[in-house]
Amino acid sequence: MSQAVVSVNAGLLLPVLAPAAGAAIILVTDVVVQHLRRTHYVIALLSLLVGAAATVAGLGLGRVAGEARRTLCLPDGGQCMYVADSVTSTLQLAALLTAALTLLLSWPDDKLESPGGTAVIVSLVLAATAGATAVAGARDLGTWLVALELATLPTVALVALRGARSAISGAVALLTAALVSFGLLALAAGLWYTATGSGFLTPVAALAMVGDPTRRPILVLAVVVAIAGIGFKLSLVPFHAWTPEAYDGAPLPIAAFLAGVSKIAALAALLVMIRAIAPLGAPPLAAIAIVSAVSMTLGNIMALRQNGVIRLLAWSTVAQAGWVVLPLAAVSSSAVHASGAYLLAYVLATLLAFAVIAALVQIRGAARARDLAQYRGLLGDHPILASALALALLSLAGLPPGILGLVAKVAALRPVVDSELWLLAVIAAFNAVLGVAVYLRWLLVVISTSDPAAKVPAPAVPDGVSPVAATVARVHPATLVAVGFTAVALVVTSLSPQTLVGMLGI
Amino acid sequence: MILLFAALAIPAVAGTALILSGRGSRPLSGGNANMLSLVASLATAAFVLAAVIARPVVDQQWLPSLGIRLQFAVDGISAPLLILTAALSVAVVVHAGSRPPHGGSPATFYGCLQLVELGALATFFARDAIIFYVSFEIVLIPMWVLISRYGDSRDLVARADASGRFVLFTVLGSTLMLIGILALVQASGTASLDALAASRGAGLERHTQIIIAALLLVGLSIKIPVFPLHTWLPPAHTIAPTAGSVMLAAVLLKMGTYGVVRLVIAPLPIGFGALAPAFAILGVAGIIWGGLACLVENDLKRLIAYSSVAHMGFVVLGLSSGTTVGLQAALFANIAHGVVSALLFFLVGGLKERWGSADLATARAALREVSPRLGFALIVGFAASLGLPGLVGFWGEFLAMYSAWNPAPDRPLLLMRVLVVVAVLGAGVAAGYSLRVLRLIWSGDRTTPAHTDARGGEWSVLAVLVCSVLVLGVAPGLVLNSTAKDVAAITAEVSR
Repeated sequence: MSQAVVSVNAGLLLPVLAPAAGAAIILVTDVVVQHLRRTHYVIALLSLLVGAAATVAGLGLGRVAGEARRTLCLPDGGQCMYVADSVTSTLQLAALLTAALTLLLSWPDDKLESPGGTAVIVSLVLAATAGATAVAGARDLGTWLVALELATLPTVALVALRGARSAISGAVALLTAALVSFGLLALAAGLWYTATGSGFLTPVAALAMVGDPTRRPILVLAVVVAIAGIGFKLSLVPFHAWTPEAYDGAPLPIAAFLAGVSKIAALAALLVMIRAIAPLGAPPLAAIAIVSAVSMTLGNIMALRQNGVIRLLAWSTVAQAGWVVLPLAAVSSSAVHASGAYLLAYVLATLLAFAVIAALVQIRGAARARDLAQYRGLLGDHPILASALALALLSLAGLPPGILGLVAKVAALRPVVDSELWLLAVIAAFNAVLGVAVYLRWLLVVISTSDPAAKVPAPAVPDGVSPVAATVARVHPATLVAVGFTAVALVVTSLSPQTLVGMLGI
Repeated sequence: MILLFAALAIPAVAGTALILSGRGSRPLSGGNANMLSLVASLATAAFVLAAVIARPVVDQQWLPSLGIRLQFAVDGISAPLLILTAALSVAVVVHAGSRPPHGGSPATFYGCLQLVELGALATFFARDAIIFYVSFEIVLIPMWVLISRYGDSRDLVARADASGRFVLFTVLGSTLMLIGILALVQASGTASLDALAASRGAGLERHTQIIIAALLLVGLSIKIPVFPLHTWLPPAHTIAPTAGSVMLAAVLLKMGTYGVVRLVIAPLPIGFGALAPAFAILGVAGIIWGGLACLVENDLKRLIAYSSVAHMGFVVLGLSSGTTVGLQAALFANIAHGVVSALLFFLVGGLKERWGSADLATARAALREVSPRLGFALIVGFAASLGLPGLVGFWGEFLAMYSAWNPAPDRPLLLMRVLVVVAVLGAGVAAGYSLRVLRLIWSGDRTTPAHTDARGGEWSVLAVLVCSVLVLGVAPGLVLNSTAKDVAAITAEVSR
């Protein structure tokens, strides 16, 4: 068997193969039996769960750090194109579960689609998810580039497919960003190859050029250009302009997908590169520090001015992306973990917020659910949903009871302080305040008592049915599952953050 | 260990349950919520008392990836603050029973009070620097809800402004403190407050100590608050409901000074020594500024808030002296201010509800004529506030000035003595504004518009606090003996 060019371990590749195979099965099924809806969702969810189950073995729970599983290795003990260690597996698990939750959110909208549209949407989601899981494990330039684009391009179609005018402009913004980003990433890949002479994105490849000081600036340039390219996907300022357009234009579940899976894919790609250069003992990356500081500041200030909740969440994504890359300003292994931990906390809280909005769309209609002012008195009208939303917002703000967000903030600041980047740390502190202002502005509306004069008369509730039960009855069960799952996950990880942070390994 | 967990779990569970039960189809009634809350506070107080006596220690893994451990313990410095917190938590519930909250579901109100108590207790129990920060943050959102939902609703813009200002200032302070804590932990290699105190900054360079101490002091000064970072305090106190004002003044402000002792003075003696003169100047500026503001302020609640700024100035002066006496004075003044400000805010909150406003310019019935109990409590409260010997306020201020007159050898003697002279002037101003308030609302012979005197729960709370003012004034050793041993351990190196 040693004649094989590369070794292949299919079990290890399952997190990538499962969603890809799911997408293929759905397309084939759609050809054979047309106009299926529910079957497609079931197949998709199953394939995502199979992929998620395959990642569990790689999580860092109680395992020795640095224990990585490899496949697609070159013969005679050469480098491997696919490495799944605890960080990779955790990001893959997060991407797969996020995609599953996104599908749960889009299930109720299914009847709005044209016949046959379901198969397209579901398979596009699966394809993008396969790209996200692949880029997390990719360790060679080719796979890295292709997987990152696979994670991006389907989202353009997903945004556009709704066909509304705002969706088209959002999709165009996203497509433009994706193209520019691809150009930059291809340039970065070329520079990396020039600097290291290797097609692998690994520490071994990076260390090979240490002896030649003239190539070091090229490597730095490669990293900076890659940061710019990935900055588009992570919505970092100044590459963020597409974000509010695309979020606002896209159907709600797709906006959640953009905020979740796309961000995981982008960070996974960035981490692959940062981890490759971390052993070089690189000085702090000023590029990341500046981009991070500007992103959080602009994102928070713009979020403070929004009156629509989707746009608010879009700008909050910009600000949070700044926090996600904040620890990476200090290039180190602990910074990689901190960044991953912050991303997980952000994705979980944002998903809960989107799930609650999706539930409110079903109860109150899209116009009311998207307008910040219409959240007045939500706590009185829908206490359960409002409590879940409050938890999500407080987690994003990083204040107890959203202890997960607080812990994420501690983790993100730590590498910055360890590297003595005092100015960046103080800017981050002021942004923590701005962020609190953003989310409390929303929360204040939610908890304030509704204005009795403006209150719409409540629809008649049959005797013996409590208002809460009536509320629950009108939300699609899939949405309820999504709200319930994310809310429970957020509560559990707030009580015991180790369950989430520990997955990344030590 | 069970004692500690029970003391924290009861307010956590009761608070969450109350908040959740205040909603839905059959919300909890105000009376039941009060009763449940009272039982929870009493049980918590019992466990806190038991923990103070038994001194249990908890040390458990919580977040090994970040090296954060659940470390809780009690020592002589935290014990008086723990008892103060637990006792006042019972008091606010009893008081709210006779003067119920307005503005929203009563269950949520009591739930938030329980969570504030949880945060304060956890802060004083915490023995891990990061857990200290996490606990510090727990009080924020419940207190924000108390101010923004249950505060004075006559001016909604002012209310939103006050609650927002409170939370934003405090978050800025605590995030700066977090950066300082992370730097401290990184520099000294441990997050355990006991290990940090034991190391006394060994192995840390002077400039590192100064940077870290500056970050921590700025962060904590917002919480204390120290002039000129106090601007969030007067609006928050003015708008907050009575229970909120009491918890804010008597408990939350103490977390700031407690943090200075634990995080700055003990582990960073050299860094604090370098910054102490500036810290002392700001403290004394606060004494004068607060006192002058009180002389002209016409809103009674706001006046007491400014007097808090002045009182915390004495605490800052004591802390800055660098001596054992100074630290003792600061910790005693902390407790004294807790008792006195609680008494005054209970009184003034009750008066504001009776009068409909807290404006001093409006002519009202003299308290000594229509409500002798309120009047008597007010006299005791202001007498203690101006530092009359024999009452609780005297010892903290007197010892703080005494210690600053004879500061640690590395402090600038002349500057500290000048500051003491100015602080004495500030104490004179305090006498002035106290007598002004008493003249305006206590004396005189108007009997209209009449209002009811304190009775029931309100009177028993006031009576207990008046007794505490007298008892601690006559026997300050109750607190001083508790803190003496641990304070001596901290200052052994400093005063050398």
